[in-house]
Amino acid sequence: MSHYQSEIIRIRNICYSNKAQIETVIGTRQYINNNFDRELNLNLLSRTRFTSKFHLLRLFKKYYGQTPKQYLTDKRIEKSKELLKNGRSVSETCFAVGFESQSSFCTLFKKRVGLTPTEFQKEQLSQSPIHFFFDTCSLNQTLKNESKSY
Amino acid sequence: MKVKVISVPVLDQEKALKFYTDKLGFVKKVDVPLTADSRWLTVVSKEDQDGPEILLEPSPKHFEPAKTYQQALYEAGIPYTQFNVDNVRQEYERLVSLGINFSVKPTEMGTVIIAVFDDTCGNNIQIVEML
Repeated sequence: MSHYQSEIIRIRNICYSNKAQIETVIGTRQYINNNFDRELNLNLLSRTRFTSKFHLLRLFKKYYGQTPKQYLTDKRIEKSKELLKNGRSVSETCFAVGFESQSSFCTLFKKRVGLTPTEFQKEQLSQSPIHFFFDTCSLNQTLKNESKSY
Repeated sequence: MKVKVISVPVLDQEKALKFYTDKLGFVKKVDVPLTADSRWLTVVSKEDQDGPEILLEPSPKHFEPAKTYQQALYEAGIPYTQFNVDNVRQEYERLVSLGINFSVKPTEMGTVIIAVFDDTCGNNIQIVEML
């Protein structure tokens, strides 16, 4: 057995021996993954796992290193980037990932990504093959028009 | 500051490029010749081609301490780095079918599943699925 394999066993015994706690946090994370587009709060999450909200908060932070709220925000930002890349409007994206107001979405997005949703979308579309295709089409059309005029 | 490039030391860049693209499914991003036997060679995840680049760095070939460090990690079975996957068990089956050797089969570690394989370039690499 390698040093790493024995470390896996040692760390698993120290950190991950409480199966009930692990099931609780994995269930909470999966619930967030499946419902990030709805209004979620600690009260609701703790009710789904039949536990107190402060206990759930402590457990989630212990096993995932961040609070459920931080994880939810990460998930929403990640999903909003996907939607913006696929051409959805900023307001559509904002509500599709569970934000209640466009201004709070834009502020948070800028803080986390470094660009506003509009700037991010522009940057993405300018790099996409679709944009390149349309650029090439318009260039071909321009060249055709120019050759006609000669 | 932004994370744009992380490096993985490799003994042979051409062999590493083949392994990381043909077997693991990464895509070549930048390939700049530097000297007769080294290139600035990076690959990226196919699903995130604007994401961080992996520099396949020939440091063990040119810098003895890098070779010593890489060998020590390899012999202890310690992964040099790790990549996230959606499903470790499926990825394990796929890579085994391509002839890749695993030192750690899919193993649950609390909130993650991990597995460790040999990248044939001097490193153990871990794959991780978040549960």
